[in-house]
Amino acid sequence: MFQKLIAKSMMKSPWLYHINTGSCNGCDIELVACLTPRYDVERYGFKLAGTPRHADIVVVSGPITTQSRDRLVRTLEQVPEPRCVVTIGSCPQSGNVFKGSYSIEGPLEKYCHVDVAIAGCTPKPEAIIEGLYKAAQILQKKREAMK
Amino acid sequence: MPDFILTFLKTALHVLIFPGLLFVAIGGLLLAGIDRKVLARMQRRIGPPIVQPFFDFFKLMGKETIIPNAARPAIYKAAPLIGTASLAIMMLFFPLFGHQAAWGSTADLIVILYLMTIPAVAIIVGGSASGSPFAGIGISREMVTMMAYELPLVLVFLAAAKKVGGTSLVFSLDSITAWQQANGCLLFHWAMIPAALALLLVIPAEVGTQPFDVAEAETEICEGPLIEYSGAPLAMYKLNTAMKMFVMTALFTVLFLGGINLGGGVLGWVLGGLLLFAICAVLTILCMTLIHAVTARLKVEHLFKFYWTVVAGLALVSLVLVWFGL
Repeated sequence: MFQKLIAKSMMKSPWLYHINTGSCNGCDIELVACLTPRYDVERYGFKLAGTPRHADIVVVSGPITTQSRDRLVRTLEQVPEPRCVVTIGSCPQSGNVFKGSYSIEGPLEKYCHVDVAIAGCTPKPEAIIEGLYKAAQILQKKREAMK
Repeated sequence: MPDFILTFLKTALHVLIFPGLLFVAIGGLLLAGIDRKVLARMQRRIGPPIVQPFFDFFKLMGKETIIPNAARPAIYKAAPLIGTASLAIMMLFFPLFGHQAAWGSTADLIVILYLMTIPAVAIIVGGSASGSPFAGIGISREMVTMMAYELPLVLVFLAAAKKVGGTSLVFSLDSITAWQQANGCLLFHWAMIPAALALLLVIPAEVGTQPFDVAEAETEICEGPLIEYSGAPLAMYKLNTAMKMFVMTALFTVLFLGGINLGGGVLGWVLGGLLLFAICAVLTILCMTLIHAVTARLKVEHLFKFYWTVVAGLALVSLVLVWFGL
């Protein structure tokens, strides 16, 4: 009974941790727009956590610069299982307009498994909410596979 | 059945189920849910469902528990449990609207004063056992917060004890409730109103909600003492915060609104429990949600100054008035 409840709660209360890896701030602002009263993802239980140890979903934005790469990998390792990695915008997927730059070490797939990738430059808040919701469902499946 | 087994079963029932752990945990988590929902409505959001803290709790129970290399594992894991135990036991000292307290004694208020510091000490011990520099900043702030609200709290308790005792000090909550049953609630004696206000202002600092959450400032020092915690111990800390909401508002109810009598029997207990929860919900909204919605976080030195001047001043006014027999 408790296992079922825990798996259900996994989907009902995913906490986010946001990492900016050299993003232009556009995607960050759209993520904030999701959290603020207009879109209010807290009604689904999403909450911004202060530290990676509390996080369930890691939200990555930006094209992974050389400076941020090691820190990103280290932060991702600190998140307890089960966890999901969600990318926002085209930058972590392909490098977007920064592709080919000497200081870009993307895409993110090189360093970890990406569960949900939300494309767009920048994606609309509606798209981000849908992506996060899918990540929450994946989180539940991962928890059910864990036991 | 021998007598001592019955006594043991009764004590276990008290500690684990009714006024103890289960009652406080469920009540506290519901209060936390109401707090989040009302806060969301005040910010024109829809907000999470009222049962959201239950989801948070069970989710954290199902997460992996990471123990950092720099941590002391035994203390790191035991600290939150000690906090939970002290909060569950605290409820046993509260008489419920005319009923006797489960563990009533002659110096309840002093015991409560000590039990109340234990959850804060648990945060300090757990945070320092986690070995993170952010936790170090957090625990120093937690200590300052603790010192800040202890003084007004002691003054409020002294004022209540003097008011009830007349010539002497009465620290027994059972006697305070009996006095209120005879002479009306302490809240309606005008000399005690500043003390009631002071206690209302102590509650958010004790619980650690928005303007007074300097120790766990998540945007500033990454949740302070809780930074390294994950999984089940974090769930216990979140439960402790919720339980503190319930216990602190219940303390206000017992101390200042103990004059309400709902009669005896099972019906009296059930009604008493429900009324207690209703009053606690109103108090939570009044002194935590409302202040949270309209303020930003204070600096720790401002917090200290505020508590030792304004709040301690309010409590002192009551104490002086009561001392002159008003």
